Amino acid sequence: MNMSLPLESKSSAQSSHNLTSGWLLSITSTLLVLTPSSSQAVPAFARQTGQNCIACHAGGQFPELTPYGRLFKLTGYTIGERTLPLSVMASGGLTSVSKIAAVNQSLVNNTSTGLDLPLKNKQTSLDIASLFIAGKVTDNIGLFSQITHDRYSEVDDQGLNNQGHTTGDNFDLRWADQWLLSGREFIYGVSLNNNPSVSDPWNTSWAWMQYVPSSSGPGANAYLDANTPYASSGLPGDLYSGLSTYLFWNKSYYGEIGFYRSASRLLHFMNFGNDPNASILQGNSNRYWRFAYNHEWGSNNLMVGTSGMAAHPYDSANGVSSSDALSYQGVKNVGVDTQYQYLLDPHTFTVQAVVQKQNFTPSVWDATLNGNTPSTTRVSRVKFSYVHAARNGVSFANFNQNGGFASATQGNTLEVFHLPVQNIRIGLQMTFYSKLANIDSPSNANSARLYFWGAY
Amino acid sequence: MKGPTPMTHFFKYSWSLCLALSLGACSNIERSRDLSNPRVAGATLAQQVCSTCHGATGNSISPQFPNLAGQQEAYLVNQLQNFKGHQRMDPPGPEYMWGLSRRLTNAQIEDIAHYFANQVHVARTDQTPMSKTEQEYQIGLNIYTQGIPEKSIPACQLCHGPHAKGLATFPRLAGQHKDYLVRQLHVFQETEFRPNTPMTQITHQLDAQQMSDIAIYLSRMP
Repeated sequence: MNMSLPLESKSSAQSSHNLTSGWLLSITSTLLVLTPSSSQAVPAFARQTGQNCIACHAGGQFPELTPYGRLFKLTGYTIGERTLPLSVMASGGLTSVSKIAAVNQSLVNNTSTGLDLPLKNKQTSLDIASLFIAGKVTDNIGLFSQITHDRYSEVDDQGLNNQGHTTGDNFDLRWADQWLLSGREFIYGVSLNNNPSVSDPWNTSWAWMQYVPSSSGPGANAYLDANTPYASSGLPGDLYSGLSTYLFWNKSYYGEIGFYRSASRLLHFMNFGNDPNASILQGNSNRYWRFAYNHEWGSNNLMVGTSGMAAHPYDSANGVSSSDALSYQGVKNVGVDTQYQYLLDPHTFTVQAVVQKQNFTPSVWDATLNGNTPSTTRVSRVKFSYVHAARNGVSFANFNQNGGFASATQGNTLEVFHLPVQNIRIGLQMTFYSKLANIDSPSNANSARLYFWGAY
Repeated sequence: MKGPTPMTHFFKYSWSLCLALSLGACSNIERSRDLSNPRVAGATLAQQVCSTCHGATGNSISPQFPNLAGQQEAYLVNQLQNFKGHQRMDPPGPEYMWGLSRRLTNAQIEDIAHYFANQVHVARTDQTPMSKTEQEYQIGLNIYTQGIPEKSIPACQLCHGPHAKGLATFPRLAGQHKDYLVRQLHVFQETEFRPNTPMTQITHQLDAQQMSDIAIYLSRMP
């Protein structure tokens, strides 16, 4: 999933290149139905190493990585043997918003636009399916890529029916090597990817902090945790093409620097299905950086890090030429994040915290035509989770966003979940709002979602 | 629009170089993580794969994973063969080791065992202070050296040696993680996941506290 994208950017995925076929969803559904309830029924990487999901994912909760999972990723997904590099994933459920009619009325009153239709409130649906192409390529090269079909991402011209949409999602092709120097491990790698931080091994990074995928819309789904504020790249578009290089010294110090540009020419596939106009960056020097200190002792591990982005996306939404130097915006963000894990059978306990500041400078055109001025948005999120025996888990998150163009958003998400087998997860996620843009009484938008997630 | 910066060129060329080197020589034997290539030396796999959990020198950080430094070579060969053949069925088998060992050749298994057997065990510095576990340590010491005659439990040192360094297929226990030792004692006592070992009979009458005491004593041995 494009998990890291801010609320305002999610809608840009609902764009051209509409592939209405539900083939991916159908294949996925069929495979899931046919999947035996066996611990061997695991996705491509697990087949590659022959290991159980919990080897790489903390307590079996996708996508949070264990220390071993992080090293598997940093060494380029190359541990193991080459196998069929295909996996599928699907997620669906039932969403219920507390008082959706009142929410809709607030939106009509405050913005003159109501919720997208159909509302999908209290209706069960299979929302999302992904196809993964992932695995070891050579001794030094490995790939993690994902194509996602969102069944409800768009609304037809009449505004009555949803249309599905298939897009490129995560893409991370990396070369990596590991040396042993005086008994200390040194990992170095290069990643060709389409989303700043998708290459990051910790789950407080922009691309990986959201755990439960759900449709980006419409109606009731807009109030799920997936659409609450998360730290992000701050870019208005979806996917780009970038090259980052990283090193990890003795499981302690991590550094990564990357440069991003529009996904064009040979790399156009990295933005497959997304709105190309919304994903145009000025030049080749849109910078991403990440530094982290990692410490492991006994059953504990702790990471404290910082990351940021400085980029110039074009505001093509105004219809101005992307070659016009007056039409690019400035996005600068910097954040601090930390993650603590306690991993000892049967316990998995995680604390995550992120604080991020995003500075936005409008383009000259935007400032002139729309009167927009520079703004600063602050986003913070704290999450606690506990999983017992990789079977039953609970998590609690607090999120907060203020500043910028959107009004403040604040609330909490509580979730309980169960994994009957390692590749199926059933959960109840409840989101409670204390502040919400354009909603007079935020608690009216409190949402609950009963979901299932499966992968094969 | 600005042209490519020197940094962009650097990345472009470094990526191209890596790609060319890797595709030109798809097999990087000296630092390979390929578990299905019999040409990769066991020592290489020990450093590139086993090290991710057990440490490059066989001194693991997490008690989820046993220390292998200084372990008996014959014991390591035996365990790897048992994982590969699925005779060892306790959770680390299906969760981690069955898959990793499934394509290892006998030569690679012997090489991996030789690598870790020749590493030096490093005493951990993050243990509970001795003052808080003095009593348990003494009880563990007594059981290890004298057994529990009234329960017909023999002294552990009869097989594992007076310094718990092990002998051939009897493993070294000195300096092992306490949590790992306790977990294994429960596996021996409560399951058939590690068959064909006298430990099933020996642990039969140990209670949980005694297991913990023995593990505390052994984890503190150098």
